[in-house]
Amino acid sequence: MAPQFPTAATLRPLLGRRLVIVTGKGGTGKTSVAAALALAGASSGRRVLVAEVGRDEHLPRLIAPGSPPVGYAGRELMPRLTAMRIDPYAALGEYLGIQLRVRSAVELVLRNRAFRQLMDASPGWRELITLGKVWHLEQMRDSSGAPRFDLLVVDAPATGHGISFLDVPRVVVSAVRTGPLRRNAELVEEMIADHDRTLLLPVALAEELPARETADLVAKVRGELRIALDRIVVNALVARPFPPGLEDLDAQLARLPAEPSWPGLPPPRVFAACAAHLRSRYELNRVYLDEIARSTGLPVVPLPFLLSGIRSVEDLRRLAEPLLATPIAEAA
Amino acid sequence: MSGMPQGPAELVLQKRIVTCVGSGGVGKTTLAAALALEAARRGRRALVITIDPARRLADALGIGALGNEPKAIPADTLAALGVTSGGALFAMMLDIKRSFDDLVERFAESPEARELILKNRIYQHVSDALAGSAEYSAMEKVFELSERLEYDLIVVDTPPSQHALDFLEAPQRLLDFLDSRLVQLLLHPAFAAGRFGFRLFQRSAQRVLQLLERVSGFAFLEEISEFLLAFEGMSEGFRERARRVRALLLGAESAFVLAAGPSTEGVGHAALLLARLQAAGVPLAGVIVNRVRTWPGDGEPPARIAEGAEEPAALHALEQALAASSGANYPAQEAARAALTAIRTYASLVRSDTQAIAPLRASALARGLFWRRVPELSRDVHDLEGVSRVATALVRPPAEGSRG
Repeated sequence: MAPQFPTAATLRPLLGRRLVIVTGKGGTGKTSVAAALALAGASSGRRVLVAEVGRDEHLPRLIAPGSPPVGYAGRELMPRLTAMRIDPYAALGEYLGIQLRVRSAVELVLRNRAFRQLMDASPGWRELITLGKVWHLEQMRDSSGAPRFDLLVVDAPATGHGISFLDVPRVVVSAVRTGPLRRNAELVEEMIADHDRTLLLPVALAEELPARETADLVAKVRGELRIALDRIVVNALVARPFPPGLEDLDAQLARLPAEPSWPGLPPPRVFAACAAHLRSRYELNRVYLDEIARSTGLPVVPLPFLLSGIRSVEDLRRLAEPLLATPIAEAA
Repeated sequence: MSGMPQGPAELVLQKRIVTCVGSGGVGKTTLAAALALEAARRGRRALVITIDPARRLADALGIGALGNEPKAIPADTLAALGVTSGGALFAMMLDIKRSFDDLVERFAESPEARELILKNRIYQHVSDALAGSAEYSAMEKVFELSERLEYDLIVVDTPPSQHALDFLEAPQRLLDFLDSRLVQLLLHPAFAAGRFGFRLFQRSAQRVLQLLERVSGFAFLEEISEFLLAFEGMSEGFRERARRVRALLLGAESAFVLAAGPSTEGVGHAALLLARLQAAGVPLAGVIVNRVRTWPGDGEPPARIAEGAEEPAALHALEQALAASSGANYPAQEAARAALTAIRTYASLVRSDTQAIAPLRASALARGLFWRRVPELSRDVHDLEGVSRVATALVRPPAEGSRG
């Protein structure tokens, strides 16, 4: 294992960083994890900002069901917990507005469809301006000079590898020699590479494709990025289906006679089939949990599958506890 | 929709192009491969085109990482899966970037223009950044392969998308962009100079672009005009090609299948896609929900399983039966309780899946589409054996499959 990746014994607590960037493919429950982490941070007394990146807002609905969109301006959803959505165009408008001092002209241009198409086709600026905004939020101070936010949780975009956007500042720093952009990029790069401040938190599922994608992601981070990475969250793990000592329950059920005399119960083959289903799903989960731990060489944080899904703040709090627990160095 | 196949079996027999659309992670690749295998079983020469499938499935299909060309699955492998004489199965993994480059090669006006485009940094990002270009290049490849007439059926596994129409709209979007006033202004500044009202925008746009250029240190305008000029020359060929690809995909020989996962979230995405596809006049034939937890024997799980006052007697009966069959040393009492817990847990999983997919089922049936559930298999599908089991589940009698 590369020395910059700590083992379970030297792990710092998840809430010990200033900036946690949660990443993962769509469907992994990345947004729930970001929300649970933000809630846990706020409950611990920290002032927390949780930011979604992209066009859609999912997170506020998890934390405060029925709440109107928080938008780029953001809103406090509960004491000490502010949510916002970083829209690259809004950030660009803010940035250009400051630079040009002609807000109306900026708006006119930004609303133009062709200009947007041009910008859509242009590489890099979205990522840089998003991270620049995160940096700006991280730097914010209150009237007493203390940081405005103790913890920033960023729900990174699910597209592509989700981490290519972290690479943009480095590319800019290497490609651009001078100018304000280079200075911005340097500051952002410094923040990302600062292991005391920043952590990348990948969220995976214990299934074949997500396991492979997680291994690819970790390899890419190790090869190309300098961001800290110390654990993998593995979400939606199904519970052990039978108590210890009864591991072969499905096999025992399969041995029952076809037509026993029992009242009001499904036939034995249905019992056996249900038990076999639960066991195979559980075992597959364990196989891929092990594979994630092995292929990444990182401790894993198992989170339970919640049958009814995430429906309330209480559900998020149920995720928060195992999320903050010490990761397991090797999946058992 | 009249004239549409009433199930997967008819679909793979009647159509020449079947396109599978849906979000990522729903097992679209497996379903596409299963449809192609089913076609081969029914005596057709079928090709499945996929994009970045699970590696083990790719290995099973014999299409590791390389090659933008179809490969045949060996006849003896196919024979073991029930493919008899006449049927054949081919698979290919699409290299999106290369397909897009091929397109530029075909339509560039000159070798110089081609080089300019391929080396242009804007182009290098356009193929990723313009949403849907990946989908479009997949469709372009399908068109090329369909023209070769070597296959009776081509099944296409599209890239995961929330916007399934991207692959149809991407070429038009690119052309619209090329035709837009901003672009014309960049290309031919004199062109729009006299127009009032436009001047304000022009001035603002130029200031913004100049600022971007200044802060970015990137010769943005220069690069983009270079790209646009080079691309302008090929837009006629591109336009005609896009029109023909679209006609093929929306024509009578084509059909679409929507694949979904059983979660509430997955079903929500699928329902949205379904509405969009139909609104756009896409020839949608059916909806397949993959990996649905089903009750053994395929009925409904009982609403209550020995609950309340019935529980002690049920536990007792279970315990007796287990003690009799598993021997005196077996902890039959704990096992009985665990068995009851397990069956209830599984029943609630089945109910939650059934409940989640109900709205999608209703909306599919209301639109006259076929509806199939593929039960969750006890193993992940990463070999042809697994694909074969999915294919079998797909073509089981509709009465059963249409239950939800």
